[in-house]
Amino acid sequence: MSATQCRSIAEVAVGDELPTIEIPVTLQRLVMEAGANRDFSLMHHDGGVARATGAPDAFANTYFLMGMFERLMREWAGPYARIRKIGPLRMLIFNAVGDTLSIKGVVESLDEGAGTVGVSMWVDSDRGQTVTSKALLELAR
Amino acid sequence: MSEPSWGLWGSWEETESLLDKQVGQSTGPDPVERGSIRRWLEPKEFACDIHTDAEAALAAGYEDIVAPVSMVFTYGMAAYWQPGDKPASIEDEPTQIQIPVIFDVPAPCDKSFATSIEVEFFEPLYPGDVVTCTSKLVDIKRKELKVGEGAFLRQEDTFTKQTGEVVAVSYLDIFRFVATTAEHQS
Repeated sequence: MSATQCRSIAEVAVGDELPTIEIPVTLQRLVMEAGANRDFSLMHHDGGVARATGAPDAFANTYFLMGMFERLMREWAGPYARIRKIGPLRMLIFNAVGDTLSIKGVVESLDEGAGTVGVSMWVDSDRGQTVTSKALLELAR
Repeated sequence: MSEPSWGLWGSWEETESLLDKQVGQSTGPDPVERGSIRRWLEPKEFACDIHTDAEAALAAGYEDIVAPVSMVFTYGMAAYWQPGDKPASIEDEPTQIQIPVIFDVPAPCDKSFATSIEVEFFEPLYPGDVVTCTSKLVDIKRKELKVGEGAFLRQEDTFTKQTGEVVAVSYLDIFRFVATTAEHQS
């Protein structure tokens, strides 16, 4: 993404879909993620511990999923957008090793005066809808 | 309690005595810098040059490369280990992540789960910034759910940088409870 790409508020309508991101959850990705975001809860990088707590395998932590929502918004809105709020973000089902996640979003509201856009985002996998979140962005005029 | 608990044990009176009080504070041991940003972007396959290229960031209205907003949580965490600390295992009190309303606020509960998080972002984070996270217990709602009896506790985290500017304010909702036993289930 270059700094010249930028979505303005005038280009946006309620119902617009954010381009879906597909990302497989692998143990390597979870280990890299734990090292980068520093949530070292064992169930996020140790399959044995995760299974002992009832999870199907090691599973993605909240910071990874919030970061993926940030990526979804950034790729759609461009570098000039300011992300003002994320949430409430709710974890519904595990996002475990072996799953492929589809990160999705849609424009839910628009305030041209304030230059802000409300989006609704969610994650789908073979397990169903695994995470939901709202967010508020300020777009270029 | 004979088994490891998921949080600090205590009475509801002790929990309520901490309402609207600071229950934790941590300062990230490392300032914001481009290496940690790059390593955070990498597992997400996240490519946006305001996070890696100062020229692109300046063109987008920033003062320098800017950290992704979601990184504020990472930069506000204290260090995990000191030399000589033993590795974590499943039998340990699970304090691998800092959530003061679970681990530092007493309650008559031994289990918990997070229900939601929301965060509002203000000042951007630039290389050299150091983040402090100050946690308050701001709400207690006693509730009985299918899983057990307990309370929703709301933790407010205010993230500030070394200048005192507020970077973000987040609200984390945690349900702490004791599991419903078989004889209590209807």
